[in-house]
Amino acid sequence: MSRDFLIAFAHYDQYLSGLWNTLWLSAATLVLASVAGCIVAALMLAPHKIVRLPATTFVDAMRCVPFLLFAYLIYYGLPELSLRFDSWASGLIALAVYHTAYIAEIVRGAWTSLSREQIEAGRAFGFAGLPLLGRIILPQLFFASVPLIGNQSIYILKDSAFLMIITVPELTFAASSVQSTYFVPFASFVIAMLLYWLVTLVIEAMVKRVELAAEIRRG
Amino acid sequence: MSDLPFLLQGAVVTASVSLAAIVLGVPLGLALAIIRWQRVPLLSQVVAAYVSVIRATPAITLALLIFFGSPSIGIVLGATPAAVLTLLINTSAFNCEIWRAALIDFPRDQLEAARAYGMTPVLVFRRVVFPQVWRTSLPALVNEMTLLIKASPALAVIGIVDLTRAASRIGAATYKPLPPFLAATVIYMLLVIIFVTTQRLVERRIRQRFNLA
Amino acid sequence: MDSGAVRDFAVEVRRLSKHYGSLQVLSDINFNVSTGTTVCILGPSGSGKSTLLRCINFLVRPDEGEVYLHGERVGMKNGGWMTERDLCRYRVRMAMVFQHFNLWPHLTVLENITEAPVHVLGRSRVEAVQHARTLLNKVGLAEKQDVYPHTLSGGQKQRVAIARALATKPDVLLFDEPTSSLDPEIIGEVLAVMEELSAEGMTMIVVTHEMGFAREAADMVIFMDTGRIVEMSNPEEFFTKPATKRAQQFLQRYVR
Repeated sequence: MSRDFLIAFAHYDQYLSGLWNTLWLSAATLVLASVAGCIVAALMLAPHKIVRLPATTFVDAMRCVPFLLFAYLIYYGLPELSLRFDSWASGLIALAVYHTAYIAEIVRGAWTSLSREQIEAGRAFGFAGLPLLGRIILPQLFFASVPLIGNQSIYILKDSAFLMIITVPELTFAASSVQSTYFVPFASFVIAMLLYWLVTLVIEAMVKRVELAAEIRRG
Repeated sequence: MSDLPFLLQGAVVTASVSLAAIVLGVPLGLALAIIRWQRVPLLSQVVAAYVSVIRATPAITLALLIFFGSPSIGIVLGATPAAVLTLLINTSAFNCEIWRAALIDFPRDQLEAARAYGMTPVLVFRRVVFPQVWRTSLPALVNEMTLLIKASPALAVIGIVDLTRAASRIGAATYKPLPPFLAATVIYMLLVIIFVTTQRLVERRIRQRFNLA
Repeated sequence: MDSGAVRDFAVEVRRLSKHYGSLQVLSDINFNVSTGTTVCILGPSGSGKSTLLRCINFLVRPDEGEVYLHGERVGMKNGGWMTERDLCRYRVRMAMVFQHFNLWPHLTVLENITEAPVHVLGRSRVEAVQHARTLLNKVGLAEKQDVYPHTLSGGQKQRVAIARALATKPDVLLFDEPTSSLDPEIIGEVLAVMEELSAEGMTMIVVTHEMGFAREAADMVIFMDTGRIVEMSNPEEFFTKPATKRAQQFLQRYVR
């Protein structure tokens, strides 16, 4: 068994390459989904039903669909409508669109649980428009949603592994490739798992720091 | 559409594998949570590490490890047992955290009263803790069940023809992947809706009776 | 007070001590409680009264000392500490009433009362229910048997808690500041029940701030401060001619 681990370790470059792709995909998804998620959340909170309905339907639909199925829809299904993307692009689009819905839900939840009193106080003291948004509302929104978005980034990380099925060369794909070439299945996947774990621990540590900052302010 | 029976077969596979993992995973999660709650020496640290690693592991990676890796440690598993085991291990880790959150928050007052009246630890858990803790954990447990169903397509890599794989096969055969995929989407939605509605009904009954919300 | 030739102590406490880290919570506590009497434990907050009560039924393990229930040693067996399971046999004979009632919210009033008799003592449900109904009647809440605790007022909850305590037919009743969480208007209804129990000859150990109750119902008053018994006498003496300075200071704050 230890021999297996040595063999697997010898191909660390494949793991690192896969890890890099995983991290790249996850980070890009996080950025895209966060921006789009805020927009969709705003739509969900719009006063007019005709704006709200498509947004809420989109979010509800994404939350009922398994990610892999959605990825298949993009990669295999869209060509039927003459929209052809390669595996990388399909993977990124699938991840970004899927997680936009989840982040939209998080931001919407944070918005509705915002303390009305503090916003009122802000307006009473003469804040309005952009300064109100920037100095009073957004910081609160930030502290409320960041822990949840941090958790969501762990889900993004894990969902990226599904993309190995459509041959995106991320971490699990790398581990699978090492194992099928050198016949070291246990060692190979354990190493991959430990790498996922490490990344998760780093994300959780960062989330904790934000939570601590929020704690200091909240008391 | 002779594809429909094939699709439904896939749905049955998805439902049964998921159900098996759920039925075993909820009590297993509880057992792990109790170990941590009671601070059993050595065992609780092992459980803590296990939960941390498993919660960070994608379902696909875990499935590949269990199916292809188990012969290396002397166990030979068929595809279906490996599939159930994968989902079971995955969900038990999340369930452990769910149960643990409820146990930690449990009011000490009631435990004190139960002890003061001579109840053994087992009796305290059975009559006082569990009846309340399952009700507060219900929403989170059901949420985890829906997440499990949504993670189940990962099993395709170890040869299980679940709903997603069935849809994908139909698509590959007919060169029209969209209809089976959309049909599969609808079936997944139905499965999720069944769980969520049952949960809402149970919650309403709980609120009416005990006002424990 | 105890004057008979026969030593009939329901509870005996010898050399009891307890510390949490460097904090000495109880030091060398010694007293006896005769069967059928009511003992009130008074003292400022932090004097260790609640800890003392919890050492008697071993919810808290004392570091030194012994507790006897009708002559039987509580807490140790064959030279070693008793397990939780062994302690359970003793605890059920010393029923406790808590400051915050500690009723079980997922059970009805009736179920709260029958829980210990049925599941700890193994009595039949029929017998337990009958007894529970009698007790509810006694505390004046017969019509509330099938409701859940959250619908009751504080005073009602505490009376249910007392009924629950009586249901196990205990040798001793332990009260931990039973009226401290109640609104002033409601305290009376709970004290009335306690006074009745005392008059009926129940052995009771009561930690309380209610001086009126101590004066009327107690057979012995124990005054504690910083973990020690400062003064121990009958209520007459204690309230009119306290012997120690500490007791005098304490009473001045409560003199009406």
